[in-house]
Amino acid sequence: MLVPKVQFTESRLPNGLRLIISEDHLAPVAAVNVWYNVGSKHEMAGKTGFAHLFEHVMFQGSAHVGKAEHIALVQAAGGTMNGTTWLDRTNYFETMPSHQLALALWLEADRMGTLLDALSQDNLDNQREVVKNEKRWSYDNRPYGSWVEKMLGSIFPDGHPYQHPTIGSMEDLDAASVEDVSAFFRLHYAPNNAVLSVVGDVEPEQVGAWVQEYFGMIPANPDLPVALPDMSLPARIGREIREEVPDRVPLPRIHWGFRGPLFGDHRLDALDLAGQILAGGKGSRLHRRLVREERLAQDVALFSMGLVAGASVTAGWATARPGVDLVQLETAFWEELEKISKEPVSTDELERAKALTEADELGALQSVHEKADRLSMYATLFDKPEMINDILPRYLSTTAEEIRAVCADVFRADNRVVLTYLPAGAEAATDAAA
Amino acid sequence: MTTEIVVARRPTHGEPRPYQFPRFERHELANGLGLITVDLPGRALVTASLVLPSGAVDEPEEMGGVTSLMARAMTEGTAKRDAIELTEASERLGASLHAEAGWDGLSVSVEVPAERLSEALELAAEVAIEPSFPAADVERLRDERLNDLLQAKADPRRRADDGFVETIYAPGSTYGRPSGGTEATVPSLDADACRAIHGRRLDPARMTLIVGGDLDAVGEDIRGIVESRFGAWPRNPTAEPATEPHGTAARDERIVRVIHRPGSVQTEIRVGHLGVRRRIPDFHAVSVMSAILGGLFNSRLNRKLREEKGYTYGAGAGFDMRRGVGPFAVRAAVNTDVTVPAVQDILVELEAMRAGPPSTAELHAARDFLVGVFPLRFETPPAVVGAIAGLLIHDLPMDELDRYRPAIEAVSGGDVEKAAREHIDPAQLAIVLVGDADAILPSLEGAEIGPIVVDREELPGQTPGGPPGEGAANAA
Repeated sequence: MLVPKVQFTESRLPNGLRLIISEDHLAPVAAVNVWYNVGSKHEMAGKTGFAHLFEHVMFQGSAHVGKAEHIALVQAAGGTMNGTTWLDRTNYFETMPSHQLALALWLEADRMGTLLDALSQDNLDNQREVVKNEKRWSYDNRPYGSWVEKMLGSIFPDGHPYQHPTIGSMEDLDAASVEDVSAFFRLHYAPNNAVLSVVGDVEPEQVGAWVQEYFGMIPANPDLPVALPDMSLPARIGREIREEVPDRVPLPRIHWGFRGPLFGDHRLDALDLAGQILAGGKGSRLHRRLVREERLAQDVALFSMGLVAGASVTAGWATARPGVDLVQLETAFWEELEKISKEPVSTDELERAKALTEADELGALQSVHEKADRLSMYATLFDKPEMINDILPRYLSTTAEEIRAVCADVFRADNRVVLTYLPAGAEAATDAAA
Repeated sequence: MTTEIVVARRPTHGEPRPYQFPRFERHELANGLGLITVDLPGRALVTASLVLPSGAVDEPEEMGGVTSLMARAMTEGTAKRDAIELTEASERLGASLHAEAGWDGLSVSVEVPAERLSEALELAAEVAIEPSFPAADVERLRDERLNDLLQAKADPRRRADDGFVETIYAPGSTYGRPSGGTEATVPSLDADACRAIHGRRLDPARMTLIVGGDLDAVGEDIRGIVESRFGAWPRNPTAEPATEPHGTAARDERIVRVIHRPGSVQTEIRVGHLGVRRRIPDFHAVSVMSAILGGLFNSRLNRKLREEKGYTYGAGAGFDMRRGVGPFAVRAAVNTDVTVPAVQDILVELEAMRAGPPSTAELHAARDFLVGVFPLRFETPPAVVGAIAGLLIHDLPMDELDRYRPAIEAVSGGDVEKAAREHIDPAQLAIVLVGDADAILPSLEGAEIGPIVVDREELPGQTPGGPPGEGAANAA
């Protein structure tokens, strides 16, 4: 099978904006994807949730665009748009009919250059309420909804920039003033802190001219890059952390969390393949044993969330079937993690995991949005957009021994967080297993 | 203002590249199996989907969920291989193979790199033609569905969706229950029931295989491959045709139903009633109206509830158009203390939608979005194949997708107003609220929105060990 190589060009404006262009004329569509090198890790104590708050404020207008008009203009042009926030970064993106590309570029430029012209107390208050409702909806009013916050809180030590979730705290959001928010914007949302990728049915010269015209006058921020505190961590947590969490759930669920290798480290590729072999579908080891054969679990999962400093988060869960002994469930899950840490996976398992990974890549790269997102990602996090073409060969070169070795490093009792969600009011039902 | 930083002049757009929905060709095998091929050059991950225009609608009410269970059980093994062998064979191809059924259709689908299409279709054919339905695996899937029903009750969103549907449809209506079945019907389902429904429904002469992707990259003639994989599948003379969904409204007056979830920090709101079927003459007018009301980001509902009031992370509305009359619902989750004002705002917007034509700006925004986003919707093979499957399931003309954009362009403000007056009836609205009844009721009772019913059922997770209660309803 041949996964096509993504061809692209890159350049940099005098103000530091990095521009990556990749042509793909299969469909009459064009993707614009701006990555800002600012995530929740850049937030100060007492001011959590700001990077994510901007995901909302960035749609409240700028010098030449009214409140909510950004989205109205994109939609009226037949485009789609959104933004996302993560611990390491935020991004903003549009997919447009290709003849409407200039509009998306101009809209991104207007908010990068002039957002503060439109920021008002009213807009901030309004979006703060929206974000608080997002938190209620996504975390507080959702069964098992607290696990991410609890996992980050346990895997990372107090004061570590990854310790709090992107949504932030209600108290910090309530305390956020227009001045606080403006200062955050001035610091981080500058052309020399951004990567702009444009992918699809586009003419590179024309794109370059538009980008120069729209973004060229936006001043760089000389105070960048921001110095982050030392984020390095021991490879392991150093002890087991257990918590029982009473929640409004009908079925108990056990969540596991581990410190894993960093994003960009080949060992994380090996751990991703381990995740596929352990929990990637009907034929995977955990699904086969816990769901199909022993019928202890309703569902299982195991995956990694890659982070660039300190440690990544490797997380898994198993939802217990009614009446199942949680000690037995935890023991069975753990035995599979120990087994993959001791014995190399079979050639057939490895080949199947690689074939699925290859097909996934083929599918992902069919979307101009996905290509633009990845180009921006590798440029922002690693200064290497060409990694878009390296990832698949890296997966395909992974050996069974590399998988075993990384599992042995990560899946250890002194590197695990175990959160046991129990139906509220139920008797404490677990003790340390394994 | 610092307007020199970014040029003030908004860019104009270029010349749109001509676009049409990808061309597709129809063929038929000797056994009556339809084959639709759609060449999408450069799309080397091919999607193939075998579609039956019959789903949960066509099952007897007392066996609710059997079609959905049967579809999921189809990949639990075939006459030639057990479930694990099947999965492993599929994974070796880099293929994802699955079967599923909804209300109006059933499909066996595979996504696979083009050059392995033939081998993947061999597996898909086994799954469709000779599933083995192992008793123990069907039992496990059945139990998983029962557990999922428990989880659904505990999740405020799913509880609101299910509660809304129960409230608007009269008992016995096809769409008044979940398509996956309920605690009342699922426990009695087994492998024999799956086998029986498979025998009664699947028939090559009623089904179509849709293949979309880079057909040159397949390296073989598609018709030859399909003939070799499906050609020997005999017609099923005893197969029953799809039936008409039936359904009536539970009532012709308003009701407010509060499903008590103590301590909820938000109220999940659903407001609506029976909607429309997919095959209606004013489909395009309803689409534009629905976009203005609750589809666009700047729809009336989202603008009011989110961007003006900050009550919610998002508010929307839409018609779930099925072969029969599906639900029409406004959806939002709001913080508990603004539940009543949010409901009142929703009611105002529904009345306003009927009170006159939309503004020219609203009309253009909705039409331009629906027309403009059309090519974006069909960038990849799964989307193209899914749209063609929709034509088959709803028995629509094969040029329906070509007619879409001109028909949307032609919708007038008067058409939108007419669609709203015909399909939204504020007098018949059901207002379903999943939240803390004790916090909501005092203001709700004073608001005179409609007669109030409160369900104080035991939700899973509230009382250890006890079974979920039946939900004693009492008029408040």
